[in-house]
Amino acid sequence: MNQINPLQIGALLVVVIAFLFFKLHEVKSELVEATASYKMSEKLAVEVSSLKSVYANKKKTKNAINRILAQGSLREAALDVKRNKKSIKVSSKSIETKALNSLMGKILNGSYNITNLKIKKLSETKASLEMEIQW
Amino acid sequence: MNFKRSSTALFLDPSSPAIVEYEKGEKFNIILSPSLYWVKKIVLPVKSAREAKKLLESIFEDSLPKGHYSYTAYKSGDEFLVFAYEDKKILTLLNAKGINTVDVYSIHFAQNEFSSLEGATKINATQSMYLKDEVLVLAPSSWISESKELDLTSVELSKRTIKLQQFGHIVDNKSLYKIGAILVILALVLIVEIFVASSKKDAIVELQDEVFSKYKLQSTMFQNRSTKSKYKNIHKAQTKLREYLSYFLTMKLKSTQKITLIEYKNKTLYVTLKGASKGHERTITSQLDSKGVKYKVSYNDASIKVEMKI
Repeated sequence: MNQINPLQIGALLVVVIAFLFFKLHEVKSELVEATASYKMSEKLAVEVSSLKSVYANKKKTKNAINRILAQGSLREAALDVKRNKKSIKVSSKSIETKALNSLMGKILNGSYNITNLKIKKLSETKASLEMEIQW
Repeated sequence: MNFKRSSTALFLDPSSPAIVEYEKGEKFNIILSPSLYWVKKIVLPVKSAREAKKLLESIFEDSLPKGHYSYTAYKSGDEFLVFAYEDKKILTLLNAKGINTVDVYSIHFAQNEFSSLEGATKINATQSMYLKDEVLVLAPSSWISESKELDLTSVELSKRTIKLQQFGHIVDNKSLYKIGAILVILALVLIVEIFVASSKKDAIVELQDEVFSKYKLQSTMFQNRSTKSKYKNIHKAQTKLREYLSYFLTMKLKSTQKITLIEYKNKTLYVTLKGASKGHERTITSQLDSKGVKYKVSYNDASIKVEMKI
């Protein structure tokens, strides 16, 4: 007739409940952490994705520059264009300032990664140009 | 000694002063003296003892002295034998006799074990028990002319036993069940909450994995932060380059001053202006200062050269 003290059962239940509270707190903390991490990842993903789409999209950048260079005013400027895997180099020993203004207006108004630029005034209407754009 | 002891059966009576001595491991079948319980033989409008038990508290309500009672009932023909007893009183007596509750194998009512008792039997120095209308009652031995000694060796114990509520006096069963039920429900609620929170967390982790694959991110956050930092620096530099160029292209210059060279290399922007006299560089630098641009300026051979880190 060895019975268990109900106070012991009560104490056991209280311990179990205390453990469950602790576990719940732990899981909720993990949930808060996971939510914060998810939001951070999403924000980072959007930022990285948009930055990459601007500065690391080779195809997009190449096509956009080709469209600019194909414009009538620039076709006549006889620009020297060299393309490689990582960049495009545009140069001219003598370019009309009007054409130069048109080209630079479009390049500077677009989001291109200009790594080198040299514009030297040759006369009132002529200038030389060296420019490299990377992606 | 009124308190007789067989190999296992033991008659427990409060008027017996003796302390029971026994060997370790020995177990007892306790037979409770009629002085340790209240009994009634009654007809009840129920079929089973189980149903009868529900009525016992009200049946004994007016006939018992104040105390914390437990109740039990057994069917006896068309009638019921109903019992009321105080667990604590019996436990205290067992303790007083030196019997550990661990060594108690079973507990019986004398009523059930002596239901076919013939004549009267002495249970202690002053009292005897005998059957009256099938109910075992106590009477002073002096009232009874012939009373034999209690002999437990011939008693065959019935299966009608009770279990004492050792802690019934601390908390009654109903309260205990209520508290227990509340605690169990609380535990269940917590388990459900844990499960729900855990599921939410798993769903969020899954969503995060989807974000990684959707945006083609690198496997670690460190790598992604590094990529972001790289492109952010490019973005910053390109914005700054355009900003600085716009300052010069919109700058108010003297009629003699002309920008002759704009050069950007190794993250540094160089602008050369010709046709400037010594001291004229101030007109340029003051405009750059107002924009908060950091620069180096030099004057050489009517040329002002401005150098800015991007």
